[in-house]
Amino acid sequence: MIREMICITCPTGCKLTVDLNGETLKVSGNACKRGEAFALAEMTCPTRSLTTTLRTVFPEAPALPVRTKSEIPKASVMPAMRYLASIVVQERLRCGDVAAVLPDCGVEMIASSDLLIESE
Amino acid sequence: MRENCRTFDVAVVGAGPAGLAAALAAERQGSRVLLIEREARLGGILKQCVHDGFGLVRFGEKLAGPEYAHRFLSRLSGTSIQIAALTFVSAIKKTDLFGLELVSAHGLETVLSKTIVLATGCRERTAQQVAIHGTRPAGVFTAGSAQYYTNILGKLPAKRCVILGSGDIGLIMARRLTLEGAKVLGVYEAKSVPSGLPRNLAQCLHDFDIPLYLSKTVTRCFGDARLTAVEIADVDENMRPIDGTQQILDCDTLVLSVGLIPENELAETLGVALDSATKGAVTDQDGHTSVDGVFACGNCVHVNDLVDYVSESGETAGAAAARYAVGTRKSIPVRTSDNLLYCVPQKISITKNNGEVVLYFRVKRELQNRRLTVRLEERTLLQKNYKQMRPPEMERIAVKLPETIGENETLYLQLEVNG
Amino acid sequence: MASIQKINRLLASEFMGCVEARQERAHLLLTGACADWREIVRAGYLAAKHNPLAGVVNKIEWTGGEIPKTRIPETRDNSLDGLAPDVMVIGGGVVGCAIARELTRKKLSVLLVDKEADVALHASSRNDGMIHPGLDIKKSSQKYHYNRLGNAMFEKICGELQVPFKRGGQYLCFPKKIPVPALYATKLYWAYMGIPSRVLGKKRLFQEEPGLRRDLGSALFFSTAGSVCPYGLTIAYAENAIQNGARFALQTAVLGMDVTDGTITAVRTNRGTLYPKVIVNAAGVFSGDIAAMADDQFFSIHPRRGTNSICDKKYSDAIARQHASTLFTGHSKGAHTKGGGVIRTVHGNLLLGPDAAESPEKENFATAQASIQTVLAKQVKTSDKLHQGRIITYFTGIRASTYEEDFVVCRGRYTKNIVHAAGIQSPGLTAAPALGVAVAQMAVAALFDITGIAPRENPKFNPVREAIPNTAEMPSDERAALIAKNPNFGVIVCRCEEISKGEIIAALQRPLPCASIDGVKRRVRAGMGRCQGGFCGPQVAKIIADEKGIPLEAVLKSGEGSELLFAPLKTRAEEGGGGDA
Repeated sequence: MIREMICITCPTGCKLTVDLNGETLKVSGNACKRGEAFALAEMTCPTRSLTTTLRTVFPEAPALPVRTKSEIPKASVMPAMRYLASIVVQERLRCGDVAAVLPDCGVEMIASSDLLIESE
Repeated sequence: MRENCRTFDVAVVGAGPAGLAAALAAERQGSRVLLIEREARLGGILKQCVHDGFGLVRFGEKLAGPEYAHRFLSRLSGTSIQIAALTFVSAIKKTDLFGLELVSAHGLETVLSKTIVLATGCRERTAQQVAIHGTRPAGVFTAGSAQYYTNILGKLPAKRCVILGSGDIGLIMARRLTLEGAKVLGVYEAKSVPSGLPRNLAQCLHDFDIPLYLSKTVTRCFGDARLTAVEIADVDENMRPIDGTQQILDCDTLVLSVGLIPENELAETLGVALDSATKGAVTDQDGHTSVDGVFACGNCVHVNDLVDYVSESGETAGAAAARYAVGTRKSIPVRTSDNLLYCVPQKISITKNNGEVVLYFRVKRELQNRRLTVRLEERTLLQKNYKQMRPPEMERIAVKLPETIGENETLYLQLEVNG
Repeated sequence: MASIQKINRLLASEFMGCVEARQERAHLLLTGACADWREIVRAGYLAAKHNPLAGVVNKIEWTGGEIPKTRIPETRDNSLDGLAPDVMVIGGGVVGCAIARELTRKKLSVLLVDKEADVALHASSRNDGMIHPGLDIKKSSQKYHYNRLGNAMFEKICGELQVPFKRGGQYLCFPKKIPVPALYATKLYWAYMGIPSRVLGKKRLFQEEPGLRRDLGSALFFSTAGSVCPYGLTIAYAENAIQNGARFALQTAVLGMDVTDGTITAVRTNRGTLYPKVIVNAAGVFSGDIAAMADDQFFSIHPRRGTNSICDKKYSDAIARQHASTLFTGHSKGAHTKGGGVIRTVHGNLLLGPDAAESPEKENFATAQASIQTVLAKQVKTSDKLHQGRIITYFTGIRASTYEEDFVVCRGRYTKNIVHAAGIQSPGLTAAPALGVAVAQMAVAALFDITGIAPRENPKFNPVREAIPNTAEMPSDERAALIAKNPNFGVIVCRCEEISKGEIIAALQRPLPCASIDGVKRRVRAGMGRCQGGFCGPQVAKIIADEKGIPLEAVLKSGEGSELLFAPLKTRAEEGGGGDA
């Protein structure tokens, strides 16, 4: 089975050709090693980082930017969004602080901004 | 009057990624630096770019936009940089020093500075500027405004949405709005090739089954109060709508990602020469514009696709402004082959002891297997092979210049078929 | 009547029997059916040209399509039910607002209604803002009379209402082949028309206007031309009227009237039934419909669309003064427009336009690329520095033209308690101050005829309306003092036009409410610049929400139903919307 995909690891965006022959995986078109790892993950368990905002209780900063600390399974992205809809940030978190933990994969959502500190 | 004015060595206008880097770099050289920002918070557009992918070149990490800004902001506190936030530069007047007229809640103030670093970024092209006609209902947003409503104000601007333009901001908003529950009907692009990075096509559209339509554009809006539909037409090779191909698509929102225009209104009042290809200032390798003591960096020079390079140009311009000494400048032109859209810098200032310069350039259209030759008259300085070149992807090369350069020489960037 | 027979003979030969003319009361009535709208309009003009009676009512049915219904606000309440104002003005354009303001000089109860969410939403915001010297107008016409009177009033009225006005003059340029001595003959004609002018040879012309096209040879200069912000003037009139006691009811549409024995006894609106003593018809493109409701129709309005383009302020070098247009052979022949020109607006942008196209639609403000190109192609004949890349926005306006091509300014013909200020199109803005005075007098006279009471002067009338401060244009010391008093005046929100938060908040606290993005834009110009609100739009929305104490998603762009935003984030994701990842 041959599949084509764009490597999303870096802005170069290599166009990969992945040849999955039984157990062996042959990747071509990648400029670096990360392309191979990406292709393998895409073929087995594709993962993505999720970036979004969380609602807060602070009227001057109603949306706090957050991102997953590590990538989560691609299939978990929309469920994660639905879960995060229930979260309202109550504390003035700093950039890097954990804002929530995704229940199904245990990955942390970390604040990616000092917004709540700055707007204090 | 003069005695009462605050005086600086470097005044940086704009505290987005370029301005932050410029201010930090200038201060490191020992300059007295003023950093002026019209918004309340520093960081520029990065504040609303909650998606990740920033900083891979610089930090080797995939950071979210605010996080990338945070890396610079956290360095500010330990410095002597004076910050004027929520402050608007209403005019800059040149006497022996530059007089910057500032407006803020504290009142009016004129500050003096030896040099100016313009880091004013860019603005978005509007619906009227891409000839979208019909009515003017609510629900037509530039991608940046839609992003502000979503990511800063926390409100959803769309339910059923059409996106015009496949630039990166458009693609990122397609994903963002989808994540928040809006239905993105499609991304329409007038060009025959997408404008955004391939990785964004993959992770923003493909991952969410959002269709991309090429060689199609939005020509008309319908609806009196709120947008009810748009008219979509195929376009010919000159991007003009083809009669008879129009179709009507029901939607409540149109998001426009149809290009960015460097903001150079202040630069123009100072008499800074602009490049018609970049729409930004003509600069040398230090970001020095045609006006002595006025430097420019970041997206007001040319629209970059990676923030890492914006920071780099800010650092270069900031450090150069700090080193600036009045004197005569000698420069040689940079010329490119016709298949290149532009090269920044457009000029190289020559000294007794020339070092390395960084050149940024873009191709006019997609090209494969090309070799770039950088030469000074007949002297080849560098050659580089490219497998694939696309207009959305800015190329960067560092070139070591010969120690001595003649005043009448020209630096050429020539892109030819490889082999 | 012999000439009606003649009109019918002409109509029969031109329109093959599908159109007929007859006398109805004291006016001419056209009936029939036709599929081509332009033919219907042509029949109207033909009849007007030969009409032995006063006024043409064109009721030829258009079978070529469906004319969209007048847009009526959805609001239904009884907030105005039972009101019996002395004078009810229908229409919040510049003319209606000027009339309302002039009426408040008397001790009267004045109510102005408009179906839109703000004043000046139709022709009064959709024109070029030019104050005309009065070219191309017949001396015997109402247009001539009111244009001349109105033009002379601008310094005073704009002083009282604190509206920016510049009398920069107008160039009428001629190509090289027209000999300069010929211009002196033209000058004499304008002198006879009461319009002062000056002949400029090539050298002088290019000294004054170096941005003009080099193949122009000479010009006539009319110093009485000027420029004003048309919606700014309308809003100022409205605010001054309200200050002096008039009541304004927006989103109020007149739906019908009861007329008994030549008197309007009741006016039905979406906000209840009113019993005004006198009605003023200043309904612009709808003035024919209002006249019909009042059983007083002796004229017809046929809408005429025109599109104007506005250039970025930084490209205003094409024209230094005020207005320039170029006269070419055959220019404006057969077209009912003075051909527009290149106008320097009072805010310093160049404005190009407009074109003219007949249309059955009264409120279709959609623009089309073809109009922009037509206008641009024409105006490059005046200055070749103009091109599409300099245009930042464009808009369409609809003129309320009659077949007589004249204003209808008079007491009702068949109905006693109505006064018409109808068919007001260019130069209606110039005429507005004079129309305000004259129509107010007519309304007072009608009131006297009906009630026998002459209203007293309003002792509290204050002609001065204080404008919202314009900080960018202020002298520094004044500006500094204002910021010291209210720091919001130092916080710049709209960077293109340098508009402060203080100005935006002030716009929200005016006598005439305007809590919408567009309302703010018309009052203080936030969002009028080259980025067209890309940067300041969200911030203005936030300021409106904060000042009005409403959620952001309730903030409107313009009128009802124009909310900018939907729900707060995440609430839709909770509903389970969105795609699958």
